[in-house]
Amino acid sequence: MQHRKYPFIVGFLIVPLVLYITFVIWPYLQTFGYSLTNWTGESQNFKFIGLDNYTALFHDSVFRTALWHNILLLIFLPVITILLALFFAFMVNVGGRSTAGGVQGVRGAGIYKVVYFFPQVLSVAILIVLFGAVYRSDSAGLLNGILVKLHLEDANNPIEWLNDPNLVLWCLLAIQVWAGVGFYLVLFSAAMQSIPKDIYEAALLDGAGRGQTFFKVTLPLLWDSVQTSWVYISIFAMDFFALVSGLTPGTGYGGGPDHHSEVMATYLMRNFLSFGKSGYACAQGVIIMLVTLIVSAVTLRVSRRDRIEF
Amino acid sequence: MGSEMNRRDLVKRSAALGLVAIPSAGLLSACASSGGDDSSSDKPTKSASAASKDNPFGVNDSAPLDIMVFDGGYGHDYATALGKLYETKHSGSKASVAWTQDITGKLQPRFNGGTPPDVIDDSGAQQIKLDVLQKSDQLSDLTALLDAPYIDDPTKKIRDVLQPGTIEVGNIGGKFVTLQYIYTVWGLWYSGKLFKEHGWTEPKTWKDFISLSGEIKKAGIAPFAHQGKYPYYINVAIMDLIAKNGGLDLAKRIDTFDPTAWDDPAVKNGIEAIYEIVDKGYLLPGTNGLTHIESQTKWNQYKAAFIPCGSWLENEQMKATPADFDMKFMPMPSLDGDKLPFDAIRAGAGEPFIVPKKAKNPAGGMEFLRMMLTKEASGKFASAANSLTVLKDGVGSDVQLRPGTASTVTALSAAGSNTFNYNYPNTNSEFDVALQNLSAELMAKRLTPAQWITKAKALAVKAKKA
Amino acid sequence: MTSPITEAQSGGLLGQVPAQGGPGSKRRSPEEAGDGAGGRVLNVFSHGFLAIWAIMIVVPLLWIILGAFKNNAEIGSSAWSWPSHWSFGAFSRAWDKGIGDFFLNTVIVMVFSVPLTMLFGSMVAYVLARYEFPGNRFIYYLFVGGAMFPYFLALVPLFFMVKNLGMLNTYQGLILVYVAYSLPFTTFFMHSFFKTLPTAIHEAAVLDGASHTRTFFQVMMPMAKPGLLSVGIFNVLGQWNQYILPVTLMQQQSSTDKDHSMLAQGLVNLALSQGYSGDYPALFAGMVIAMLPVLVVYLSFQRQVQAGLTAGTLK
Repeated sequence: MQHRKYPFIVGFLIVPLVLYITFVIWPYLQTFGYSLTNWTGESQNFKFIGLDNYTALFHDSVFRTALWHNILLLIFLPVITILLALFFAFMVNVGGRSTAGGVQGVRGAGIYKVVYFFPQVLSVAILIVLFGAVYRSDSAGLLNGILVKLHLEDANNPIEWLNDPNLVLWCLLAIQVWAGVGFYLVLFSAAMQSIPKDIYEAALLDGAGRGQTFFKVTLPLLWDSVQTSWVYISIFAMDFFALVSGLTPGTGYGGGPDHHSEVMATYLMRNFLSFGKSGYACAQGVIIMLVTLIVSAVTLRVSRRDRIEF
Repeated sequence: MGSEMNRRDLVKRSAALGLVAIPSAGLLSACASSGGDDSSSDKPTKSASAASKDNPFGVNDSAPLDIMVFDGGYGHDYATALGKLYETKHSGSKASVAWTQDITGKLQPRFNGGTPPDVIDDSGAQQIKLDVLQKSDQLSDLTALLDAPYIDDPTKKIRDVLQPGTIEVGNIGGKFVTLQYIYTVWGLWYSGKLFKEHGWTEPKTWKDFISLSGEIKKAGIAPFAHQGKYPYYINVAIMDLIAKNGGLDLAKRIDTFDPTAWDDPAVKNGIEAIYEIVDKGYLLPGTNGLTHIESQTKWNQYKAAFIPCGSWLENEQMKATPADFDMKFMPMPSLDGDKLPFDAIRAGAGEPFIVPKKAKNPAGGMEFLRMMLTKEASGKFASAANSLTVLKDGVGSDVQLRPGTASTVTALSAAGSNTFNYNYPNTNSEFDVALQNLSAELMAKRLTPAQWITKAKALAVKAKKA
Repeated sequence: MTSPITEAQSGGLLGQVPAQGGPGSKRRSPEEAGDGAGGRVLNVFSHGFLAIWAIMIVVPLLWIILGAFKNNAEIGSSAWSWPSHWSFGAFSRAWDKGIGDFFLNTVIVMVFSVPLTMLFGSMVAYVLARYEFPGNRFIYYLFVGGAMFPYFLALVPLFFMVKNLGMLNTYQGLILVYVAYSLPFTTFFMHSFFKTLPTAIHEAAVLDGASHTRTFFQVMMPMAKPGLLSVGIFNVLGQWNQYILPVTLMQQQSSTDKDHSMLAQGLVNLALSQGYSGDYPALFAGMVIAMLPVLVVYLSFQRQVQAGLTAGTLK
């Protein structure tokens, strides 16, 4: 087994590794370099200014707001998406009528899975146009149109969904949930189906209701997939660039009203491209990298515990 | 079970990381970035030909010309036509015209890469900010253009045939680096047809405006719409009221980020006037969240009476405007104690054309700009793009104009020398954007006029420091 | 397997509503009463919720399709306006913007980038999972690290890199970058897969005198098929929707350069340009055109997609 092992290893690794270092690792390292300069982004004339960008960042209240929004998303996006997906997965797989053969999924489970998953394959460009129309701030918008039709709101006083500081972030979050739930539904369904039927049946025999079955049997056995999804969704929550810049008010990458939907990515890009503070933007980038790294490390650490085997 | 655990762990991690592979990341409205090295080998191919009266920049006839224009309200046909003309005049040259809505996306990589086009119309929502380009030393000094002969009358220099303010606006960081080609006026717009039907007349004072608004509302029409998603527009209206009330001096103090300017009573008068619209419920429902196209289209559908905008409005709304709409322009109404007369309007050269410093054919770029400044080119532009150019009297009486554009010509001649403009958006885009945010908050009734002033002043203090 | 779970046991806890039956059965015959009450309640309940969510997904999509047939005034006036006449004008206006080309460009790139990603990713994963050598962990974590960060942090230097290679606005440049940025995820996924494959077969192949390379291609790769399928789905979805990379790297470098826009990129340009000319029906039509092929492909392969996800998450 030892013979010709190293040539083989090197042969297999060399091309992918060169590709990866060239296009991924090296650019990231350079970003760090730029963060120590006063680069404007439009030319290569800049000078080294040490940690000035980082000091400035520390006093930048907009950046703190943006960071806070990312943290909110980091908490709520996974919680809401996962709970909904679990709920639906349970309904689809165990919510049907019982037969002598055991518990069943609802009829049409396959169709639900297909429909729910579909938004996942839509390009973000489509999501933006779609939800721009859904959240439109007058009665021509889908949501306002429905509310007016149901006489729940006055057409002369429509809800300005994306221009309301208390709603805007949640409206964006809803889009991501809308688009994402189906994916996790399918993921959890797969995991549920892998749970041996006799575990359910045993639980049911013991007199457990389906609700109890869910909390006492299904959920613990799904814990692994749930944790996987958590990490997975967290990285989405760190981004949100496309939705914020495409849908929210404000000049230059949205983020409005008055920074109420600002996320780190939009603020970074505005500094980078609109304000000509690219060095500063790179410093933000480095901070975002650190935050991402910490979040990932924490989540991975937490997820290592409490493994349930079956 | 060991390997099982491992595997699951890995799946988990890979799933976690894999999200990066399904990014919703996207720079929507704009674009990315990029860089390029600048130590670049591509030196401009300096034109070989000697300069002459006919060819003041010494254009090399065989050098290709690379033109990039913003394809927005004014379209790109004018540039294509002019490119053809350039090819005829400099036989042997090839003038290629490209157009885009996303100037930053298309050009930032090329600026960084040291291969920018020879002449650019740097405009639109994704324009590359001029102050940023200037600071990065990417712009050619266009003073030579100002001193070059005017093609229609070679005894005159270009600088003598430009509308007032053009040279000042083109001046960034002490050098004339950009030709702002289009002469834009800003104010309020309404439908002549709608007003005639209801027997309404153009209000000259803010009092009249407010009382007319009351009538309009009674008639079941919203008095006022604005392009709320982009607070740029309402901010223009606010700052115009302030300038007319406080005079040119105040405008200048605001431009230089003098924080005490915001203590001037004119600031209070202006912002309180706008707030009256909000407070009295005269806004079109939902207008604070609408895009420019959405709100302007509703205005075209007679759902709102007034809308603030620049003179590109008519061209932008061409498809949405009913044939008998009779679009009309008017200056911002007068407040009590205005230092400037009612006819005074914000007017200025806009639509920046630049010649990059690293262009391969800068002489050709400048020549292209000189060719844009003829009566013929200017008249064609006015009728095709429904906008005036910075060429003085650039529109002959033979040129057929649409009602909106015609009314801006009238307004401009009524204003005479009473025009003003702010320069702060060109010199400090960060201040401009922050001020727009405040105005959006005011329109949504989340700031009072007094709070708006306090916060605006704080922005000026910050901008002064920078 | 046939343990008799009685309906009473499972249902009695949940409610008293008598009757049992599938969603389709409206009948409530007395002999069924008392048999599976809870099941019925739960069934109605689950169908209710599931249907509501399904409506929430379908309605906006149908509404956008309807929008493509309206005119500007109808779109602007009320959400409930109905198209005054049905015409495909908006679709042809949208198609004229080059959506077909964007599709083609995207497909050309992905025909190469996805298989290459899978090949390279599997090679790295296999070596890291199955061979001990100094630096193994280091390389492994190098991939972990690189995969965690948002793309846009690397864009500027990446642009330089591609530019210096002379590959801006070329298919091959974008293909290489796609492969590089998809490698980390693919590597992890496959790493875990190769770890679990039984060692016995591998050893047998080696004993038979097969080379390492041959073992990989002829023995291990076929065994990893389910994993390859799932990671392939992830990569297809990811690269199909990629936006930020092509926007950075696929800009025309001069006015004569060909437009190689990818789909998402082209759609956004379309959105911007429709914004300027105010042609909302064409904008909606463009989105519908972009959605349809994805829908068709997805519907045809949804079984495989679900199976792939299953394979990836289960042992």
